[in-house]
Amino acid sequence: MSQVLENTAPPIVAASQKGSALRRSLIGGLVTSLPVLAIGLAILNFAPTYYTFLALGAFVNLIVVVGLQVFMGNSNIANLGHSAFVGLGAYGVAILSTPLAMKKLSIPNAPFGFATLQLDPVSSAIIALIVVGVIAAVSGKVISRLSGVTATIVSLALLIIVHSVFLNWTDLFKGNQAFFGIPKVVGLPWMLVFSVVVIVAARLFKDSRWGLQLRASAQSPQAAAALGIDAKRLRLMSWVLSALICGLAGVLYAYFAGTISPKLFYFQMIFNTLAMLILGGMATVTGAVTGVIVLSVGLEFIRSIESGVTIGSIQLPQLLGLSGVALGVVIVLCMAFRPSGISGRYELDELFSRYFRRNAK
Amino acid sequence: MDYALQQLLNALAFGAEYSLVALGLAVVFSIMGLVNFAHGEIIGVSAYSVFLAAALGLTSPFVAVLLAVAAAALAAIAFERVAFRPVRYAPTTTGLLTAFGVSIVVQNLFMLLISPKPQSVSILNGLNQMWFVGPFAVSSLQVMELIVSGLTILALVLFLNRSTLGLAIRAASRDFATVRLMGIRANRVIATAFAISGALAGIAAVFIIARRGSVSPDLGFSLVLKAFVACVIGGFGSLAGAAAGGMLLGFIEVGLLVALPQEYGGFKDALTYVIIVALLVYRPEGLLGQRVELGDKEI
Repeated sequence: MSQVLENTAPPIVAASQKGSALRRSLIGGLVTSLPVLAIGLAILNFAPTYYTFLALGAFVNLIVVVGLQVFMGNSNIANLGHSAFVGLGAYGVAILSTPLAMKKLSIPNAPFGFATLQLDPVSSAIIALIVVGVIAAVSGKVISRLSGVTATIVSLALLIIVHSVFLNWTDLFKGNQAFFGIPKVVGLPWMLVFSVVVIVAARLFKDSRWGLQLRASAQSPQAAAALGIDAKRLRLMSWVLSALICGLAGVLYAYFAGTISPKLFYFQMIFNTLAMLILGGMATVTGAVTGVIVLSVGLEFIRSIESGVTIGSIQLPQLLGLSGVALGVVIVLCMAFRPSGISGRYELDELFSRYFRRNAK
Repeated sequence: MDYALQQLLNALAFGAEYSLVALGLAVVFSIMGLVNFAHGEIIGVSAYSVFLAAALGLTSPFVAVLLAVAAAALAAIAFERVAFRPVRYAPTTTGLLTAFGVSIVVQNLFMLLISPKPQSVSILNGLNQMWFVGPFAVSSLQVMELIVSGLTILALVLFLNRSTLGLAIRAASRDFATVRLMGIRANRVIATAFAISGALAGIAAVFIIARRGSVSPDLGFSLVLKAFVACVIGGFGSLAGAAAGGMLLGFIEVGLLVALPQEYGGFKDALTYVIIVALLVYRPEGLLGQRVELGDKEI
C-alpha cells in the first residue's frame, strides 16, 4: 500500500525569526476567519430570527469541525468520537448552571449534591471544560499509544461509552429525555467571538512547532522518530486541544438552545461534521471553515426538499433520509476524486500571498 | 447448573456471531487495508432482500437462506466495484472514510426507499424454536449459530489453506505487489475476498432475521461496531485474532449481563467497551497481533 499522504499539508517554510512566524500564523488565522465574520455580521444585522437560529447551529458545527481538524488534520488519524466531548461540555454546563427551581423538576435525585448547586454560567463553563480536559487526557493516553485504525475504533468506543452513560445514568443526565431549563446566555455575537478565537487557536497550533512535528510524523513516522519527535505526546496534545474545542462547542450549544438531549451528540453529529471536514479538506483550517459554510447551506436546502415541497402543482412526498444520502455521497465522491477536499493543501492567506506573488512577477 | 449452562450457550452463540462478522472485516482488511464500515450495510442489503422476497411471495426458508447469502456476497462485490476500487491504493484513512460514507448512503437509502421504521419478516422464524435435550431447554437458533459458525470458519480455513485462490489471498495479505508479479489478477483476489466477507455477513444476517423477526435500516451498524472491537482486541488484520476476539467479546457481554444487577443492566455496553479499552492499554497491538516496530522487515 502506498504511503503517499495527500491529506497532510506541506510543511511551512521555517521562518528565520520566531516572532514573524507567530505573527504570520496569527494574521493567517484572522484572514481565515474573515468569511465567517462577514457571514455572521450579515446575519446579525439583516436576517430574520429563524435564520439566526439556524446560523447559531451552524456556528456550533463550525467550532466542532475546527476542533476535529486540530486532531484529524495534524495527526491524520480519523476520529469518530468527537461528539462525545461536545455532549460532555453541554451536559457539564447543564448540570452546573441550571436554576434550582428547574432542577427540582428535572434532576431532583442528582448525586454529589448537584441537585442543590447552581453556579453562574461562566464558572460552570470553566468547570465543564476542565472536566472535558481531564476525560480527554485519560482517553488520549490510551488513544495516542495505538496505531491509526485501532485509535479510530477506540474513539468510536469512547463515543458509545459516553452516550450509554448519558442514557443510563438517569439521576444525573435525565436519560433519554430532554434536559431543559439551561440559562440561554449566548447569542450570535458571543458565538462569533468564540468562532474567531477557535479558528485562530487551531491555526496557531497547526503552525506551531508541535503542529509541524505532528504533521511530519503523520507523513513519515520513521523519519520523524529519527529526528527525535515524540509522536505519542504530540498526538495526546492535539487530542486534548481538539476535545477542549469540541467541549466549548457543546457549552455554547447548551447556552443558546437551552435544551439538550443525548441523541444530539451521537452519530448524526459525527456524520454531519465529518462530511463537512472532508468536503472542505482536513489538512487546513480553511478547509474546515469552507466545508461548514458549503454543507450548512447545502444541507438546509436538502432538508427543505426532504420535508416535502410543492413544485408548481406537484406535491412531492416526504423524503426522509435524503440528507443522509447526500452526506454519504459527498464523502464517497470526495474521497474518490479529491481526497484533499475543496481547499486542498493551502490556507486562505497562503493562497492570497501565492496569488499576489505570481501577479507581482 | 441449568442456568450456568444456558449462559454458557448464550456466550458461545453471541461470540460465534461476532466472530463471523469480525472475520468478514478481517479478510478484507488483511488484503487491502480497508476498514470496511459498510460491512453492516452488507448485512442490511441481505436482510432487506429477504424482506422484499418474502413480501413478493417467497415462502421457503431454505431459499431465503440461500438468497440472504447470495445477496450479501453480491452486495459486497458491488460495493468494492463502485466505491472501494477508486481508493484501493489510497492511505488507510481515506478508505476508512469512504467506507463510512458508503455506510451512511446505504442506511439512508433503506430509509428513503423502504421505511425508517422496522419491517417485520417472519419467513425465518421457524429456525427459532425451543429444543428439549434431556432436562434442558435450549434455543435451536443458538445451537445452529454455534454449529454453522464453526463449520463456516472450518470451511474458510480449508479454502485459505488448500486452494490456489486461497493461497493467493494469504499471500496478498503479506505482499500484494509480489502476488501480482506471479501473474495473479489483483481484481480477482480482491473480489474473492469481498465475496467471502459478504457471504459471512449473509450468514450472520440469516441469524439476525431469525432472532429479531424484523429488519430496520440500522440493523447491521451496531453489530459491526462490536465486530470492529472484536478485531481490535484480537489484533487488527489477524483472522485467528478476529475469531478469538469475537468469542471473548461474547463472553465479556454475557458475563456482564450475569454479574450486573438488573438496574445497572443499561451500562452493559459501556462497561464492555471500558474493559476492552483497558485490555488495549496493556496490549496495544491486540491479543494475537504482533508488535511491529517501525522499519521492521516482515518475516
